[in-house]
Amino acid sequence: MADIQAFGSNPAPVEGVGGWLLGQHRGPLTVTDDFSVLDDPVEQQDFTQDCEVQGRPACESVLLVQGMYCAACSDAVESAIAGQPGVLSAQVHAATRRLIVRWDPALVRISDLARAVGDAGYRLLPLQQALSVSERQAETRKALWRLFVAGFCMMQVMMYTTPMYVTEPGDIAPDLLHLLRWACWILSVPVLLFASGPFFGNAWRDLRRGRVGMDTPVSIGILVTFIASSGATFDPTGPWGSEIWYDSLTMFVFFLLGGRYLELKARDRTAGALDALINRLPERCERQQADGAFESISLKRLQPGDVVRVQAGQAFPGDGLLLSAGATVDEALLTGESHPVTRRQGEALVAGSYNLAGAALMRIERLGRDTRFAQIVQLMERASTEKPRLAQLADRIAAPFLFAVLLAAALSGWWWWQIDPDQAIAVAVAVLIVTCPCALSLATPVAMLAAAGALAKRGVLVRRLQAFEVLAGIDTVVFDKTGTLTRDRLVLSQVLVRPGLAPAQALQQAAPLASASLHPVSRAIARAAQEQGLALSAFSEVQELPGLGLQAGQGDSLLKLGSAGFCGLDEAGLLGAGQSVEGQPCSYLVDASGWLATFVLDEGVREEAAAVVAQLHALGLETRLLSGDQSQAAERVARQLGITQVVAQASPERKLAEVLALQQQGHRLAMVGDGLNDGPVLARADSSFALGHGAPLAQAQSDFVVQSGQLDELVAAIVLARKTLAVVRQNLLWAAVYNLVAVPLALAGWMPPWLAGLGMAASSLLVIGNALRLARPPQSRPV
Amino acid sequence: MESMYLLIPLSVLLVLGIMGLFWWALQGGQFDNVEREGQRIFHGD
Repeated sequence: MADIQAFGSNPAPVEGVGGWLLGQHRGPLTVTDDFSVLDDPVEQQDFTQDCEVQGRPACESVLLVQGMYCAACSDAVESAIAGQPGVLSAQVHAATRRLIVRWDPALVRISDLARAVGDAGYRLLPLQQALSVSERQAETRKALWRLFVAGFCMMQVMMYTTPMYVTEPGDIAPDLLHLLRWACWILSVPVLLFASGPFFGNAWRDLRRGRVGMDTPVSIGILVTFIASSGATFDPTGPWGSEIWYDSLTMFVFFLLGGRYLELKARDRTAGALDALINRLPERCERQQADGAFESISLKRLQPGDVVRVQAGQAFPGDGLLLSAGATVDEALLTGESHPVTRRQGEALVAGSYNLAGAALMRIERLGRDTRFAQIVQLMERASTEKPRLAQLADRIAAPFLFAVLLAAALSGWWWWQIDPDQAIAVAVAVLIVTCPCALSLATPVAMLAAAGALAKRGVLVRRLQAFEVLAGIDTVVFDKTGTLTRDRLVLSQVLVRPGLAPAQALQQAAPLASASLHPVSRAIARAAQEQGLALSAFSEVQELPGLGLQAGQGDSLLKLGSAGFCGLDEAGLLGAGQSVEGQPCSYLVDASGWLATFVLDEGVREEAAAVVAQLHALGLETRLLSGDQSQAAERVARQLGITQVVAQASPERKLAEVLALQQQGHRLAMVGDGLNDGPVLARADSSFALGHGAPLAQAQSDFVVQSGQLDELVAAIVLARKTLAVVRQNLLWAAVYNLVAVPLALAGWMPPWLAGLGMAASSLLVIGNALRLARPPQSRPV
Repeated sequence: MESMYLLIPLSVLLVLGIMGLFWWALQGGQFDNVEREGQRIFHGD
């Protein structure tokens, strides 16, 4: 976090102000790439528009600033650009990470700006979605403008109508009254013609398709009140009576638009998050030519097998292998883990993760749609466009409900016409407005989207929104063993040593031998030594005898590490002497005088696994282990974690049969797995989790993908799913209660149209606000 | 009370004028990012 000091500000207040995109802060990045691509007129069309500033032609570019994660960054970027000649204005939005710069093409090139920003430690990227951004901005501006027109006219209309409320009939001179009505009419026209545009537009669209939508009753209400009031204004003795409703009209339009505006803002944030995800890959990259020189080519022209150089601060363009000695990468997108990870030569790199320090060479293996990055984007897109089952239900109910509303409004209007014609229109309009089932249809999707967003921030991708519904109702969690509950590698669990020798000393002696080999046991010993920070002496000659062990030195300095037989030891004797452990893989270290130490190895049960199982039990869930491994190993892991029901040596078919049997007993289960062999069970289980490091096929079959591979995310997801369902129920209940209370009131004529508009907007906002509670992180994850 | 005959039309014109002013401010981008100004307090100059 040293980078924050570079801006001379304190990061603490940032959490509160910048919104949820600013969670992590990435360090300043040294950028040396070639930005000339930004000057290409063809490319520029994507993100630059011509505009006019003070009568002179200029360009306006919208670019994404990469590496910016807090409010202080936006200031740094702005001041870096504003200092350049030819820059007319520059504005950075912290939450969306967009830079809007107006510049004079005669004085400056966009690549110069990009370099200036690069020197400040950030990167400018053209937005593929620049158009959609400006469209979205125009949309927001228009919504705000409509809201303002409705609001301001509403206030003023209220002023003109107040005298009519507070005076007795006849107190105001008839021509002054007429003037007030005229003034109201003039200010209602913009509300009707402009501010109500979206309602009419939607209603018309629905009408042409032969449907009845949410906006149909609203539009009818607006039209009816306006026509009736206009009739009263121009012909007070005519059939429309002398009552005017301009205040009600403008007020409910204002309240409804207020609700829509807040919805629009919420949606914008989601869209912005998705954009940021998609725009990660670089536009161009440096490919190594046959003669070793580098050329800058477009990402689209890159082929698998190409060797590319990735500068610090750039995202890797594809999945591939690292050719340089080492690289520090940020895989936060894929794992939710904000700490940089070190990759060594030959290790895999994933597209979309950032290279943090030094240029790195990589060989591309997969590009475009085949990368894990593309899969993630696809998963996100799919989840966000899907409608949950409960929402589909609400939508199905909505259409007949709306017909009923229209009928009820017409009937109540007709009924009141018989009793009190002055009231009839107000009652009919109030019924139309108050019953609009917005809250009902928002109740489910808004809660599930908020929950999916909260999980995505933790690195858990939700593949289907429906999954929340199911997950909240499960009673059993079934685990796969290898790779899920255990790490897929051995770890050193215990060191037994000759009297007088410390375990660390034994490890110090064995580690140089072990580090010469790639055998899982050797690697576990070498890793343990490395983790303890032991200083290792290097052996010049280590001999590996495959399948047996390692040895180094001659005569008195002879050192052997390996199986009992290889070391000349008797296993039964060792067990008897307490120098070995039964049922666990062991490796022995001997010197010239015999037994020195025993390294007891264990399948590395994940540190968090036991706690996770305990938490699941505390949530009232049963846990089971379904393993393809030997029963002894499976049972040992189960015992260690407190899982009582174990099925071992299960083939994929057997696993599937077990799951089906459980389901027939009435259990609803969540399966947690990572491997290819778990694919069928993951698909069959009611709800399924795939761990991020697992096979892509397993991920494709599951509802949730835990990118970080941390099991505790499972508990968080289950808790959140339960909360989500609770929120959905609250929302549906609220919407139902609201309608049950409001409709009779409106029918009885006790609810003026303005109150109906307020009630409807308030009920929608209440539903959204309730759902947004889910978007707050429940607790910060221990790192 | 005669002044009302002048004041009411005047107030209508005033409302329309203020709306025009807001339109100008909106199109100038002043409301595009309302949090921005509030965040300036966190930046040393």
